[in-house]
Order: sequence, then structure tokens, then C-alpha cells
Amino acid sequence: MTDYSVEATGLSKDFGGFKAVDGVSLQVPSGSIYGVLGPNGAGKTTSLRMTLGIIDPDAGQSRLLGGHAPRAVRHRIGYLPEERGLYPGMKAREAIAFMGALRGLDWREGRRRAAAFMGELGLERVVDEKIRKMSKGMAQMIQLIGSIVHAPDLIVLDEPFSGLDPVNQERLEMLVRRERDRGATILFSTHVMAHAERLCDRIAIIARSQRRFEGSVDDARALLPMQVRYTPRGDADADAIAALLPAGAERRGDAWYFPVDDTAIEPLLARITASGFGVAGLSIARPGLHDAFVHIVRQVDAAFDADATSDAVEEAAA
Amino acid sequence: MNHFVRNMLVIARRDFLSIVATPTFLLFLLAPLFMIGLGAIGGLGASQLADSARGAGRIVALADAADIEALRSADQRLRAALAGRGAPPTLLIRVAAPGDDPRAVMREKGSDTYAVMQGPLAAPAIVEQEAGSRSGRYLALLADAAMRDRAAGTVAPVEARFESVATGGTSVAAQQSMGFGAVFTIFLLTLLLAGQAVGMLAEEKGNKVIEILAAAVPLESVFLGKLLGLLGVAILFIAFWSAMAVGGGFIAATQMDPAAVAAANAASPAAAALGAAPATGWAFFIAICFAYFVMEFLLLGAVFLGVGAQAGTVREIQMLSLPITIFQVGMFSLSAAAASAPGTTLATVAQIFPFSSPLAMAARAATDGDHAVHLLALGWQALWVGLVILLSVRLFRSGVLSGGGGWKFWRGTARAQGDSPALR
Repeated sequence: MTDYSVEATGLSKDFGGFKAVDGVSLQVPSGSIYGVLGPNGAGKTTSLRMTLGIIDPDAGQSRLLGGHAPRAVRHRIGYLPEERGLYPGMKAREAIAFMGALRGLDWREGRRRAAAFMGELGLERVVDEKIRKMSKGMAQMIQLIGSIVHAPDLIVLDEPFSGLDPVNQERLEMLVRRERDRGATILFSTHVMAHAERLCDRIAIIARSQRRFEGSVDDARALLPMQVRYTPRGDADADAIAALLPAGAERRGDAWYFPVDDTAIEPLLARITASGFGVAGLSIARPGLHDAFVHIVRQVDAAFDADATSDAVEEAAA
Repeated sequence: MNHFVRNMLVIARRDFLSIVATPTFLLFLLAPLFMIGLGAIGGLGASQLADSARGAGRIVALADAADIEALRSADQRLRAALAGRGAPPTLLIRVAAPGDDPRAVMREKGSDTYAVMQGPLAAPAIVEQEAGSRSGRYLALLADAAMRDRAAGTVAPVEARFESVATGGTSVAAQQSMGFGAVFTIFLLTLLLAGQAVGMLAEEKGNKVIEILAAAVPLESVFLGKLLGLLGVAILFIAFWSAMAVGGGFIAATQMDPAAVAAANAASPAAAALGAAPATGWAFFIAICFAYFVMEFLLLGAVFLGVGAQAGTVREIQMLSLPITIFQVGMFSLSAAAASAPGTTLATVAQIFPFSSPLAMAARAATDGDHAVHLLALGWQALWVGLVILLSVRLFRSGVLSGGGGWKFWRGTARAQGDSPALR
């Protein structure tokens, strides 16, 4: 039986008539890296806040780390909010120790761990620098360290990569993997698919306030057919080639592009071989998470627009 | 130590250090020096003005040459009896001349003339600046005394024997004064210190730390921790100035001639007041006043923190300072009235109403010897501190953290549709 660190069911939140989150459920297996993906304003941050008990849901409930109410296990959670916040007058080491102390870590131990973490991340020269003197990215790394300094069992990161340069993004990915290897469960939100694709064991896609997909990255990618890029050898007749390929094949330069179902790959290869057009180039690849994400969100938007149009027509008719 | 208390202390420590470890705190700590300095300068000026005004005023007697000595002698005697605040203005005695006009004397430049007496002592005519003035009455009394002296002839001066008798214990008036003093001192300290609580969450909201705090610890411990941090600053402030006062007094005492100090103490009304004692005794009175200061600080601080937490901008916080001051003055007025009327319904109301209770109970400690009632009062006030914190947190969570739907008394109802759910 799977052990879940996060079990949120039917979370809903309404802000003055605007449904920010509508029945979102999240089940995050313990020890996994779980991504919550969605376009801007989809409801990711509100979902995470409700999951952690920072704000109360209008409906639904959240249970963390073995069925506990979120507020009962605060000290076992690390949280990096979307809107970064540190006391500008504090020194980096103190800021990290303070965040650890909030979760029950001894101040002295917090300072020691802060220095160790900062050393590992190449930040040792700013250990006693005040936050106000740091760059935004550096301050963000300090806050990230502050959210994991107490070795939490569950780490929730809201858009952790935004504002970081590629080097720090790489460091952050390394840190996330290391925390997972330590045994922590990591739940993070992002709208940058590359990070999710590299890191996540499972993902949920939220669009228009609702969860639209849940599964592994491969499951998401499998929603779209394989993409084929075929370049015939020599000057073959375009119409003849088009007749050979599935409907919708598109020619760009010498190459032809078209989707193909998993089951149709071998018959396609047999047809190409038998046709005598030859193969100058051939690639068959599964689309990336980016394409799957765009596909899902577009479907949701289209359905939403259709609903809105139909409502408007009904209203006009009435 | 449980999580709640530990979290509260972490917040309190951070707030205390963030206030104390800044150059601005030095300015804050020394601010009373400016107040004392400016007060001294103002007081000196006012005193000089009062002296000068007193010296400039006079009363005039236009008398026959034969009456002058009698008037002077009577003035000397009466003036001795009316020494102090009741002393009449300087008397100028002039020999009356035909055609003297008292109104012209009143108008003479160089000094204020309050009253002029003219004519025979048996039936003098008195012109005065204000009808029924004390100066006019004094001139009439002077004429009367001079007439009686003349009629009685030479009488040996009375040799009175004075003896002072202590009635035992402190007078009720003195204890009421002590009660008022306690009310005023606690009010002044909370006015100076607790009002800062209104902007205490502005920092966290401004730099977005509030979401980290809200995720990490119970909001109740954030609110209480912030109050405790500020209370720590207030106690440091009071301790510093108390130490300064005690140290200053000690140094002054060692530098002065003990005989002169003893003589000055004997003659000083302040020393006499110190000889009085509140009904509960000095040690208990001072300790309970400190406890009531803490309670008043926490009560008002909790209200101000809760109200300030609802404010979205610095301008809103600034706007809140006026109602906050008015509220504090209101509590002071109620408690001051209670201090001057112990045992009345008004006093009971002030002692029960939570926000004036610490002030009114401090006043009660000066006039009522019952100790146990203070334990009850402290419990009652602590209960209200808890209630105010709980209410403030509830409003903060529903109104500010949840980004809408909460109650904001100066804004009305819910926020507009689609308003950002971001923490403010």
C-alpha cells in the first residue's frame, strides 16, 4: 500500500465570488518529488496554501505526514512561499537559524547547519552578510536553505526556480534530489516544464482552478502521439510521399512531420521501406512534457470558451 | 517547553533584538531627555513669566499721612497670615493729594493695578479691576484692621505656641493622589510604548515574511511573541530610566552635605508625601502597579496589534494613530475619575471594564488594603488579553491571510471579485 505524505481532497476556495480553486485533490507519495504544474493564475499557490493550512479551504481537507492536520505537523514541514520574504536587517546565518528555530531547531545548531549548507552551495563568503546587501537570487537561496535547515519530512516549494540564474537553478535541482534521497517528500509548483520533467516522479496539472491531470511525466507525455520526422532520400514526388504517410503530414523543407500512434509505427516503417523512397533521416520521438502541458491547457481553455459562448447565447436567447 | 511557548519566544527574541540592536533605539531610549529638557526650559520660562507677572501687579492705598503707618503695620501682619499662594499683590501706599483720581492710578503704566483705595479708613472708596476681586476685599480688610489697631491702642503682640499633631496613617486625599499618580504613570508609559504595536505586523506584511511565519507557527504565538518583544523593549526602557533615577539620586546624595539634605527633606512637601503610604503598602503597591502596567500594555498592545494587522498600507496605520490615542485618553479619563471617587459605581465600572481595569485597579491599590482582589483582577485582565489575541488572529486569518471575505471595519465587506489572493 502506498504511503502518502500529502492527501488533500476536494480543496476549494472562493475569493469574493471568484473560484480560485475548485475541488483540487493531491496525493503525494512519501519520498517522491511531486510537481504541481499550471499556467499563471491557475490556482497552484492557493492549493498549496490550503494544503499546508496557511489558509482555510471553503471545502475539502488536507492531511499530511500520516493523516495529521497540517497545523499539527508544522515543525516537520519546510515551506518556500512564492512571494519570497526575509528580514532585510538580518544576517544570512541568523535568518536561516531563525527559520529553523521557528520549526523547533536549536539556534546554535541552526547557525551551524546554515554555515554548512551555505558552504556546500558556494555561499560561504556571505554567511554574515545582511540580507539587504544580497542579490535577489542569493537571498532566494538563503530562504530555500532556511526552509530545509531543520531537515523536514515534507518540503513544499512554490515556484522555487523563478528568479534564479541557470547555475543556481542547477544547484537547486541538486538540493531537491539530495533532500529526496535523504527521505523527504518534495512538493513543488512551477510553470517551467523542464524542471518538472527532470525532477518529478509524478505531476498534477491545474488549469482554470481544477486539477486536469495526475500521473507520471511519461503518462502526461503519452497523452500525445509520437512525433515522426521523416526525410526521404533523393527527389521523390511529394504527392506520392504524402499518399504514403498518414493524413495531416506536413512538409517543411526536405523533411515531413506527422504524429503517429504507438501501434502504427511498425506498419509505417514497413510502408516506407517498401515504397523505395529511401530514408535520409528518420526520428520517432515522444513529445515533451511542455507539449503535453500545452495540449492539456489548450483543451481546457477551449472547453471553457465553448461554455462561455454557449452561456452567452443562452442568455441572449432568454 | 511546548511548541507554542517556544515559538512565541523565538518571535519575541527576533523582535526585541531587531528593535534594540539599532541606532534608532538609542534615540528612542534617550527621548525622555529631550522631553525633560524641553519641559525644564518651558517650566523655567513659565515660572519666570509668573514671577514677573506677580511682581508687576500691585494694589494702591491713597491714604492720609496719619494713616500710613497704621496701614503699613496692618499690611505686614495680614500678609504674614496670608503667605504663600493666597498672598495679596504688593501694596503701594501713597499720601493722598487733592484731586487724586483712582482711575488714573489704575491706568498708570509700568504695572498692573488690581485695586485702588481712597478716602477715610472708616469709609474707603475702592476702585477695582474686577468686581468682587480679592485685591479689593484685601484693601477693605486692611482699612478695617488699621481702624481696629487704632481703636485698641498699643497691645502686646500675641505669643502663640504651635504644636503639630499627627493623626496616624496616611490621609485619604494623599492615597487618592497616589492612586492618580499610578494611573497617570501607567497611562503615560503605555501611551509612549504600547502605541507602537499598531505597526508591528507591517514589517512582516511588507517584506512577505508573514507567510513563512503563518506556515511555521500558530498565528497566536506570532501575535503574542510580538507583544512580548515590544514589552521587553518597554521594560528595558523603564529599567534604564529607573536605574538612571536611582543612580542619579545616589550620586547626588553622596555629593551633598547630609545635614543640608536632612534639613531640606524636613521642609519639603515631597518628603512629607513620601512619608505617606498607599493602603496596600509601598512594596505591594509598586509590584502590583508594575503588574498592572504589564497587563495594560498587553491589553492595549493586543488591540492595537490586531487593528494594525488589518491595515494594508502605512498610510492606514498612520491614520489609526488618532483613534488609538483617543481610546487611550478615554481609558485614562475613566480611570482618573475612578481614582478620585473610590468605592463608587464609576470606580467599579472602571475596574471591571477590561481596558481601563489595570489603571483603575492600580488606583484601588492605593486606597484599599485588600490584596486578594488584585489576583482576581490580574486573572480577568489576562483572560481578556487572550480573548483579544484570539479575535485578532481570527480576523487576520480570515481577512488578510485568506485575501478576502474578512471583516475590515473601515472598509466594509468582502473584496471585489477576482481580487488577488496574494498575502498582503
